[in-house]
Amino acid sequence: MLRDFWEARGRVGLMVTAIAVALVGVGALLVARAVITREAAAAYTSTNPAAATLDVDGGVDATLLAQVRTRPGVIDAAARQTIATRALVNGQWRRMLLFVVAPDDPMSVARFTVQSGTWPTSDDALLLERSSGTVLNAVPGGTVQIAGPNGPVTAITVAGLAYDPALAPATQERTGYGYLTPSAAQRLGFSPMADELKIVTARDPSSVDSVASDVAAWLTTTGHTVHQVQAPPYQHPHQNQTNAITGLFLAFALAALLLAAVLVAATLGGMLSAQTRQIGIMKSVGATTGQLLRMYLSATVVIAAASTAVSIGPAVLAGYGLVGLVAGLLNIDITSLALPWWVFAVLVAAGIGIPVLVALGPILRAARVSVRTALDDHGLDAATGARPIDQWLARLRGSRTLMLTLRNLTRRLGRLALTVTLLAAGGGLFTASLNASSAWQVWVDNGLARRTYDAEIQLSAPAPAGAVLEAVRGTRGVTSAEMVTTLAATPADASGQIEVQRTYPDGGHGRFSLVGLPADTGMLHLEVLQGRWLLPGDSDGVVLNQGAATRLGTPRIGDTVHLAVAGRVGTWKVLGFVAEVGGPATAYTVPEALAPYVGVGRLTGIRVAVDKEDPGAAIARVEASVAGTGAIVASTTPTSELRTAIDQHVVIFIYTLTALAVLMGIVGLLGLASSMSITVVERRGEYGIMQAIGATPGTVRRLILAEGVLSGFLGAIAGVLIGLPLSIVVGDFLGRISFGLPLPFEVSVGGVLLWLGLVVAGAVAATLTAAYRAGRLTVRETLAYQ
Amino acid sequence: MNIVSSNSALAIDVRGVSKVYPTPSGDFPALQGVDLTVRAGEFVAVVGRSGSGKTTLLNLLAGIDRPTSGEVWVAGTAVQTLGESRLAAWRGRSVGLVFQFFQLLPTLTVAENVMLPMDFCGVWGVRERRPAALALLEQVGIVEQADKLPAALSGGQQQRAAIARALATDPPVVLADEPTGNLDSATADAILELFSGLASAGKAVAMVTHERDLSGRAHRTVTLADGRVASDVAASL
Ligand SMILES: Nc1ncnc2c1ncn2[C@@H]1O[C@H](COP(=O)(O)OP(=O)(O)OP(=O)(O)O)[C@@H](O)[C@H]1O
Ligand SMILES: [Mg+2]
Repeated sequence: MLRDFWEARGRVGLMVTAIAVALVGVGALLVARAVITREAAAAYTSTNPAAATLDVDGGVDATLLAQVRTRPGVIDAAARQTIATRALVNGQWRRMLLFVVAPDDPMSVARFTVQSGTWPTSDDALLLERSSGTVLNAVPGGTVQIAGPNGPVTAITVAGLAYDPALAPATQERTGYGYLTPSAAQRLGFSPMADELKIVTARDPSSVDSVASDVAAWLTTTGHTVHQVQAPPYQHPHQNQTNAITGLFLAFALAALLLAAVLVAATLGGMLSAQTRQIGIMKSVGATTGQLLRMYLSATVVIAAASTAVSIGPAVLAGYGLVGLVAGLLNIDITSLALPWWVFAVLVAAGIGIPVLVALGPILRAARVSVRTALDDHGLDAATGARPIDQWLARLRGSRTLMLTLRNLTRRLGRLALTVTLLAAGGGLFTASLNASSAWQVWVDNGLARRTYDAEIQLSAPAPAGAVLEAVRGTRGVTSAEMVTTLAATPADASGQIEVQRTYPDGGHGRFSLVGLPADTGMLHLEVLQGRWLLPGDSDGVVLNQGAATRLGTPRIGDTVHLAVAGRVGTWKVLGFVAEVGGPATAYTVPEALAPYVGVGRLTGIRVAVDKEDPGAAIARVEASVAGTGAIVASTTPTSELRTAIDQHVVIFIYTLTALAVLMGIVGLLGLASSMSITVVERRGEYGIMQAIGATPGTVRRLILAEGVLSGFLGAIAGVLIGLPLSIVVGDFLGRISFGLPLPFEVSVGGVLLWLGLVVAGAVAATLTAAYRAGRLTVRETLAYQ
Repeated sequence: MNIVSSNSALAIDVRGVSKVYPTPSGDFPALQGVDLTVRAGEFVAVVGRSGSGKTTLLNLLAGIDRPTSGEVWVAGTAVQTLGESRLAAWRGRSVGLVFQFFQLLPTLTVAENVMLPMDFCGVWGVRERRPAALALLEQVGIVEQADKLPAALSGGQQQRAAIARALATDPPVVLADEPTGNLDSATADAILELFSGLASAGKAVAMVTHERDLSGRAHRTVTLADGRVASDVAASL
């Protein structure tokens, strides 16, 4: 038995490799998922994030805070302030969030960890959240240029770095985060007012919502106005995405393992059928079916166990690598890389269990073979020629070598089907991943192409539309400009009850905007999914993007929805639904409809298109023009920044998907290699005959290569076909997770060609060893084999 | 290497050939100092006990195996000097091989099996190959089976097909290893008849056989014992 293993070391190696490769994928994802889930939760919890944040008009003083702490259900409370402004980085504006924390704040709620420098900072300094260093291009000891409420920029010293794992990473959000004291905020020109009441409650969503509503109601009765209540889910802002996507990948990896197991079963089946005679001989000298079964099963267990053993190290390493990447993306510190025991248990169970289960079939069949059938086996399969397909193929006329290839291909239809299936599954996932990532690109490209402006400039307060637009349009380098008014809104119900918002403290994740745009806007052409886009005069109607539709409970066209802006609830009729790439949940309406909130003829922002040469300078001039009218610029977002932010959110998933696809492709090719190697062993006799009647070793090699490449090609084509529906599924999943809409169906021609090329090259490589070995066999050896 | 060219009238000229197989229990001499000549048109039977070296000798003649020492000249070529590829090409044109287990390729029809060596060796034009193959099948008496797959033929018919295939390139030498071993005696007789006819047509035929009575049809009977030629007797016709 051991000798047989050694004889077949090539194929044993193939089987071990196939399982090990798939197991590395499974293991890496298990490891990554286990560690990341635990560590992200631990990191988020370690900040003791507020269960709910209430916006209280006029701010919360120490007395009120003490009273809030005594309210039923409130475990702890803090009063803070968040200022949204912007910072000047190398002549470009970046969004900047300033978290204002009183020096005497006990830092028991929504705390951050000081990594360098000291807290509280002095009046001319702040701490930066560590992930915003690159966004702001700032290091401790340096300065950041921060815009004050009235426009002028003040340099503030970076006193050190803080670590705040409750925030979505600055790099992905393209936003700077800073922590400073009220007096430092005042020095920048802001009026400090702790208007955010952060409360900690029991963690279950229903207590959070009821306690927050109770506190809001109590505040109202005591004469305070509560604008909005935010209660984000009790987890990292990107946790859901991470979970869903690692789950998908895990499923892929398990599919790869299953394929590898099928490969093992087929290879063993092939090896065993080549051994039929031996089995017959063993039986004729007294071996029982049970003994043979045990023998071959233990061989399978040995192969599977070897693969598992080989794969655990790389799996853990790859998993840790992935953990590092994802931790970086989530901006969390991994405090422990400890792996729960179940990771190993699952890995070992899957690595040994699946292959053994799958191999049971062929092993049983081989072990049950009767002595008579076994001894009748002469190596050349007599069965060929009896099936209808052989009769049919025999009628084909053509070059003998072509005939040989074609007919040999169909000799073991089962094995051909298996090879094709393995390759098809591998190719399906491979092309599906590439299709999905190209769909992603196309969707983002198209989505951004629908925005024909180069920058959006937000003002810190409503300003007269006429004057601002006139000034901007008259600026050198501006090709066109349009008004846009953006208001933070909150879904509400008909009674005027404000919905508890699921917005995170960065104001981005979970944000809902009410935007006023000219109905005939030339700068935003969103795809209308249902209903229609705005018409002039639609002052009581809204068009919702997919995020807004979800947040409003997926209303129908014509339904009425309620949105609260600064505590006032407005009623809107739903006119249509649009698909939007990037940006928060948004309800679009015409500018006039927002007059009640911002004043007649006023705007809160503009969008500009500028000359292609030096757009940065043109945008800077636009800001100067805006400032010239007396309006104050709060933020400037170049459209190109949007793309970076969007891409940053998914790039790792695309990479991982592609890595898994490559893994599947490898398993598929190993399948081809294994089946060709079985084929060659089985047909040794025939290759001998061919050489006996004048075929050179080269001819034999070419015949085998042709057969391998042909079956590889069949599998590759099948893979591309399977990849089509699969890309829809993957695109649907990826799209829903990232945009709330399925990705469009897209075929990556490059990906398909790459796959076809890889398979043909892989088939040549996979078959070459087998072919080379066959060509090298001397005729005597092949003929002796019967 | 011998400078003296082989006698061209000799289709097979074996000079002082030894074949030693290395085995775990030391070298095993399968053939020792064998000399043998066969002329064109001669039908030689090689007999001997099992393990006496008959197959080994035939393999050396066909270039399937190489002698440890000595020279093997077949159809005017020193077989032991050729490399694998040249050997295959030479074999295709110069010797026709017939085996005990028929050894037709199961996926090709009988006619295609016969055409295959023509393809490999490039004899006949592409269009002439099928008529040539049919003519050979006619000669061995199974032309009606031409388009069947081997699995559909009886053992005797398969062996006839194999003989037709051995003749496909019109080689001067035909070698057969127990061609009748798997056939009943009537069928075996008919096959021997065919070989006998081939010799009459001018080919050198060497046939290994167990059955001494079958060797009676040959012109000469060479007996091997322990790897040596024990006797070489011309048939008393
Ligand atoms: N590859 C090999 N390695 C070692 N010994 C071998 C090898 N091939 C043959 N022999 C030995 O050489 C001797 C001659 O073998 P050969 O096959 O020529 O006998 P044979 O006369 O054809 O026998 P049979 O009538 O049984 O076919 C035998 O003793 C055999 O065991
Ligand atoms: Mg023999």
